[in-house]
Amino acid sequence: MQIIINGLIAGLAVAQLALAFQVVYLPTGVFFVGLASLYVVAPYIYSAVQRLGMAWQLCATISIAVVVSIALLFEILNHAPLTRKGASGGAHLISSLGIYILLVQVITMTWGNNTMALRPEVHAVYHFAGSVVADSQVIMTVAAGALLLGFLAMLHTTALGLHLRALADNPTQFALYGYNVSTFRLIAFGLSGLLAATASLLTAYDIGYTPNGGLPTVLLAVVAVIIGGRTSFFGPIIGGLLLGFVRAEVVWQFSARWQEAFTYAILALFLLSRPRGIFSRTTRIEEID
Amino acid sequence: MGYLIHLLIYFDIYAIVALSLNLLVGYAGLLTFAHAGYFAVGAYTYALLSVVGGFGVRPASLVAVLIAAFLSLAISLPSWRLKGDFFILVSLSVQTFFFSLYYNWTKAGAPLGSWSNLTNGPFGITNIPKPAILGFRITDPGHFLVFATCIALLCAFVCWRLQASPWGRLLISMREDELACRGLGKNTRLLKVQTLALSSAFVAMAGTIYAAYAGYVDPTSSSLEEGILMLSMVLVGGVGNLRGPIVGALLLTAFPEMLRFLHFPDAQASNIRLAFYGLLLVLMMHLRPQGLSGNYRMK
Repeated sequence: MQIIINGLIAGLAVAQLALAFQVVYLPTGVFFVGLASLYVVAPYIYSAVQRLGMAWQLCATISIAVVVSIALLFEILNHAPLTRKGASGGAHLISSLGIYILLVQVITMTWGNNTMALRPEVHAVYHFAGSVVADSQVIMTVAAGALLLGFLAMLHTTALGLHLRALADNPTQFALYGYNVSTFRLIAFGLSGLLAATASLLTAYDIGYTPNGGLPTVLLAVVAVIIGGRTSFFGPIIGGLLLGFVRAEVVWQFSARWQEAFTYAILALFLLSRPRGIFSRTTRIEEID
Repeated sequence: MGYLIHLLIYFDIYAIVALSLNLLVGYAGLLTFAHAGYFAVGAYTYALLSVVGGFGVRPASLVAVLIAAFLSLAISLPSWRLKGDFFILVSLSVQTFFFSLYYNWTKAGAPLGSWSNLTNGPFGITNIPKPAILGFRITDPGHFLVFATCIALLCAFVCWRLQASPWGRLLISMREDELACRGLGKNTRLLKVQTLALSSAFVAMAGTIYAAYAGYVDPTSSSLEEGILMLSMVLVGGVGNLRGPIVGALLLTAFPEMLRFLHFPDAQASNIRLAFYGLLLVLMMHLRPQGLSGNYRMK
């Protein structure tokens, strides 16, 4: 039971970040590695505001607002100009990675390289079905679960969700219908920033944060996207949860240091047996990327 | 003079790395971050064989190159089914996997080179002997520079002949349109396996020279920063010819040394260097995606 709970909690964080990646990738086609820098920045902004003596609600709101603004700047200053120039997907990825490297180095030079915690006191624990659960894990489960369900509900019941799905399905046709693609691209980046900031703050509250934690976590999220299905908004959530369970099981059976090896072994297994992921649709050969 | 020789040896090593990466990025159109992992395969294999097995430089290098070529399957098999961004991310995963192995394959008390302590973890492998050729041990840095330059020139010659061969033209055709290439009856899967094996073998050779020169290897030689540095060399210098990677290797080997003259604090020098690489990548993608001296604009 403890493994299932640990897996669920770890999986929810991965699922959130996988969805943050997918919400940009599907509508815009941009491989948003810069997401890693949004993930890194959030807790540093939170703790900087916290030092001014503000309440946690205000700290979280300001941190999320700053991260969403950075996400929008990523689109306005980097990806939109590259798209206008007709740049390749590789150029988007490399420039996004370049900005990530730049931001991480600025953070390291400003706040140092050490692992930090969002709160100094020890977590309170609860006993549930023979398992031990920390209060931070309860907060993570409730908040991440609500956010993921809320996002899926938005996607399937609101006009914005319909527009995002339409943009993801066929951007050219979407533009021909007279919709402003640039606006919806901005919204996609903003939503990605929101999901990344909450995932980061919840994880930082639970286990702490470090300037170099962004890229490995985003890589994990991309593995979840590949496993779950690259053409679906729902697939990455399932992929994230599956990865969470597997990684918790590896910690239990072997050691935490073998988590990465097992993660990429699963990725290899999926690439060889089901390369389009769990929730995939059949594609024509010329569509395969 | 000793300092200049040291820099030139590093330039030779990175020139081999950039030329091997050029085969992938510039000719096969496969952008990869896993090169640092294969560089370390060469360095670790050479270190283990020479320190534990007592092998000479030629058999140790040969085994290192063969192992790296075989392990390139870890990246060439996914390349059959993944292209573009997802292939790049798989290469990043392979790099992370390699780093994880080098960092974790250790056990306190177990002898170095045994199954439970193959890499000595974060402490790395020390006291790697200098190479000996025809009974002459290369301990003098000047002699080592001649040795490294000869290997680099040999690699450049092989790359030059490969790019001018029918095989090289087939690579370019696959880069331009893989579907059309397959339609003409060409086996692009085999071509990818061959290219990645060859490129990994070259970079492993660079790894063996590095291990032999530094006398020490640890997991940082396969870190993500190294992978980014290697890719920056070809993206900044340009790909699709022999000139671009050499220009990139020269610039990015010289740049950290220029920082010394700007008197940045030692603690922040590596951060500033990495921040500069990041900025350079962004600027190149926006202003000159084909690199300073390249023929091919990355797709």
